[in-house]
Amino acid sequence: MRTKQTAIGAALAALAVLCAMFATTASAAPAWKFEAKALEGTEVILGGALDSSLTVPGLTTKCENFLYKLTIKNEAGTGKGEVTEVPLYNCTTNSSACAVKSIVAEKLPWPSKLTTVSTTPYIIIEGVKVPILYSGEECVLGGVLVTVTGSAGGSIDNAKETATFNSTTLTATGTSLKALGQKIEWNGLFPTEAFQWHREQALSVS
Amino acid sequence: MAQRTGAERFLASPAKSASARVLLALALAALLLGGCGGGSSDSESQGTASSAAAAEQEGGKASAPAVGSKDRSGSQGESKAPGAASGAPAGGEDSSGQGGQKQGPAIAAPKGPQEQAPSAAELANATVADMSLQSPAILSSGGEPGSLSPAYTCDGKDSWPALSWSGVPAGTAELALYVMNVQPVQGQLFVDWAVAGLDPGLTAIEEGKLPKGAVVGQNSFGEPGYSICPQGSGEIYMFAIYALPKRLGAPKGFDARELRRQILATSGNVGLLPALYAHS
Repeated sequence: MRTKQTAIGAALAALAVLCAMFATTASAAPAWKFEAKALEGTEVILGGALDSSLTVPGLTTKCENFLYKLTIKNEAGTGKGEVTEVPLYNCTTNSSACAVKSIVAEKLPWPSKLTTVSTTPYIIIEGVKVPILYSGEECVLGGVLVTVTGSAGGSIDNAKETATFNSTTLTATGTSLKALGQKIEWNGLFPTEAFQWHREQALSVS
Repeated sequence: MAQRTGAERFLASPAKSASARVLLALALAALLLGGCGGGSSDSESQGTASSAAAAEQEGGKASAPAVGSKDRSGSQGESKAPGAASGAPAGGEDSSGQGGQKQGPAIAAPKGPQEQAPSAAELANATVADMSLQSPAILSSGGEPGSLSPAYTCDGKDSWPALSWSGVPAGTAELALYVMNVQPVQGQLFVDWAVAGLDPGLTAIEEGKLPKGAVVGQNSFGEPGYSICPQGSGEIYMFAIYALPKRLGAPKGFDARELRRQILATSGNVGLLPALYAHS
């Protein structure tokens, strides 16, 4: 009788441990999913900003097209990835005196991972480095090379299949982008599209 | 390469259902115990990993709808920029494929030439913003430019705040301090304050005081000195400390805009500190 009780107790304890493990997985380690099934292997995602701007205090830089290529995978149930390409097109500033002489994403690939903050899934991109050379004789940053560095966390909207980056999402994920020795603002709304094995499939994170 | 199509990966029904049964039993047991909530979908997906691999060993039948050779050739062109292929996966155009639930917005095809990295010559000629400039009178928060205390504007004593800096490169011959409006005035850079001839060993100046050797230029108000006085309700200003690799020998009352052109031509370094001021 005592042996049976011990066995039941052990089974309950094991279930409790398993239960805790599953609960932790669900809340803290979201995975990439296609059609609600966890991604196996790797997939390539292409994204392009519907609207994106980078504000080095006082001077906002926008690119008409801000694309990215992200290779994603799940590792031990957690979504990870690498941003491998970030081509930018037609970048301008909000100042008539300032032009963007050059802008390019450096130190690629940028590692990325998924996380959850208060039930909201986020993607965190690390190792961001974007040097921007401004031009314009009357531009306060004309001839100056400003480098944006840091990490950025964006919230993922599973229904819309978008990732949104702004000051709120950066703060929520404890990330920041810096230039001129201080935090800068990055706003971006990026749709996501699988490009390799899961084209046309609904992408979600949970 | 033993890569499998998406469809093959999901052809794992026997093992998957076995795995699901085990998980269902665990979940039911947990529910009976009253302590376990969600997470079932995640656990299922983890459970399928090994079972899917097992199914792949059997060689899935690959009904594989939309992942044919065209997709592979497109996706394996790793040297191709995303922009070059972005027209292909634009989900918004036609989502009548296998998924059917795709709701994401379409990705716009890029227009115009791709931005390039600066050339070696451009990099060599650039003034690099890698120094740090601070002031106790300018405190930033949340990514916004720090607010400048009214004491240091025409609403106060209109004198410069204490400033400190770091990161002066070795070999610097001279430092220069500037305050400029971020937005040009009538199409021209507006200089509110310009001081040259500062010793490269300096790391700070006190509020309202200049060290020996400092030379003050003529600002855009047409006065030799400092003044911050927004024309409208407010302005964003840029405080700058320039480290020059050679002495420029600017005379007293120098033309601030002209000296800045010369400063930028020396390809030195700069520390920048933006500050917002609005009349209250």
